[in-house]
Amino acid sequence: MARMKFLCDAERCIECNGCVTACKNEHEVPWGVNRRRVVTLNDGLPGEKSISVACMHCSDAPCMAVCPVDCFYKTSEGVVLHDKDLCIGCGYCFYACPFGAPQFPQDGAFGMRGKMDKCTFCAGGPEADNSPEEFKKYGRNRLSEGKLPACAEMCSTKALLGGDADVVADIYRNRVLKRGKGAEVWGWGTAYGKPEKGATPPAGAKS
Amino acid sequence: MQVGMRQWLCAGLAALAFVFTMPAFAADASSGQDQAARQQSQPGNNAPVWRDVRSGDNKYQTTQVRGVESSVLMQPEGETWRQVRNNLVTIYGGWLLVAIMAIIGGFYYWKGPIKLHEKPTGRQLLRFGSWDRMVHWGAAISFILLSVTGTIILFGKHIVLPVVGFTLFSWLATLSKYIHNFVGPVFAFCVVLMFVTFVKDNFPKAHDLKWLAKFGGLVSGEHVPSGRFNAGEKVWFWLGVTLLGLVVSVTGFILNFPNFEQGRELMQIANVIHAISAVLFLTMGLSHIYLGTVGVEGAYDAMRTGYVDETWAKEHHEYWYRDAVAQQKSGGGATNPAAASSMKEGWKQ
Repeated sequence: MARMKFLCDAERCIECNGCVTACKNEHEVPWGVNRRRVVTLNDGLPGEKSISVACMHCSDAPCMAVCPVDCFYKTSEGVVLHDKDLCIGCGYCFYACPFGAPQFPQDGAFGMRGKMDKCTFCAGGPEADNSPEEFKKYGRNRLSEGKLPACAEMCSTKALLGGDADVVADIYRNRVLKRGKGAEVWGWGTAYGKPEKGATPPAGAKS
Repeated sequence: MQVGMRQWLCAGLAALAFVFTMPAFAADASSGQDQAARQQSQPGNNAPVWRDVRSGDNKYQTTQVRGVESSVLMQPEGETWRQVRNNLVTIYGGWLLVAIMAIIGGFYYWKGPIKLHEKPTGRQLLRFGSWDRMVHWGAAISFILLSVTGTIILFGKHIVLPVVGFTLFSWLATLSKYIHNFVGPVFAFCVVLMFVTFVKDNFPKAHDLKWLAKFGGLVSGEHVPSGRFNAGEKVWFWLGVTLLGLVVSVTGFILNFPNFEQGRELMQIANVIHAISAVLFLTMGLSHIYLGTVGVEGAYDAMRTGYVDETWAKEHHEYWYRDAVAQQKSGGGATNPAAASSMKEGWKQ
């Protein structure tokens, strides 16, 4: 089975925010919660670069490690998911995450945090696949329908790639060879640089 | 004429270009200009951009998504916080608490409670007035609530979760979070009241050094005289209630109110300081609770009813006992509220 990864090609991203919109629309994410965002570096200067970032589904996920109720789990495809029924809204995953992925809807006075929400790689949650409960809490479960994440599918320049790590890396490698620049795979060292933890990969898994 | 014009124009443009590119080579060039220069010298080399992503201090970094630090692409400090919290704080802090409980348990097993040597006289002295007790129990009850809930949040995953299971533990942790968040400010308020109420009897005196040198006769059983509060209680007052109380309160407020949009780095530092000082606070607190309840005969009654027996006062706080009795006899002009109240209420026969 494949190991799912996101890859954003900074040479291609044009900061159209299509991925952000696609995500919000697909999952009907409430106001104030952004599972994905586009960050532009050197905005307005020569050499401007944009990167779309969301949960990267790390191999050794810091959120899983610090969660006081152990509400995170990892699918056999390496997708980091969490159980909102267990989440207590402490914000520790937000402190630990290098990518700023965990989001908290405000629940009560003084900015009290509600249950955490983050990118699911369009893989839903622990509820039955495509059930109304799952959709309400986690959004659409596209992976169960054999589809890839909506953000990557929607990307106009195919800068954002999401799917089987081997396929994604192959596409990127060919691009870099053809254009002769932009070989930096943003965030992969941080997200996938450590040995896989928390998942039980099935026998014969490649990556 | 035409040729001359073009030559001048070219020279002018070249000069302009030179002027504009100069700052890019200056030593204090900003990160954005750094990348602009690199684009010209080595097209396709994005190294300065990736350095900026790491450092996170590029002022030309923008996003359309609103939120706290939403324009920060990556914060490597999170990993540091994770290692410090999960290893240093959880493991060493946890074993420190186990160690202090083992020491207290061992001491109780070895020595048992400290009992009165002489028979109680039956005459009662007022040690803590109603205000003293109200403040103390306000702080004590909130301290215990915060200790239990904080322990569940920090260590529960390792000791409670495997026993009760995910669902029940999640309920417990949710309850703990709410209790911790709401009782926290109450405790901070009580800490201030504690300081104001008890500071006057906690100033260090010369005889405190003797008490500390002999550790209050806790091990030897020797009688060491002390004022209204002994040196051990004074250490607990200054290092525990005052210093640690202040530190956990300030860091707690930083963590409790994310609506002020403070950054993650501040909250990570606050969390680590909060956890370390809370563990130390609890270590001292456990000792205080032991000595105030089962460890010393009659100590709990002092804080429960406010009264102690004269024998108890003489054997545990001799200087305070003498003062209290002297003021009782001189009849009036008492400055010590404990003594003053005892006059009002009289000896309880």
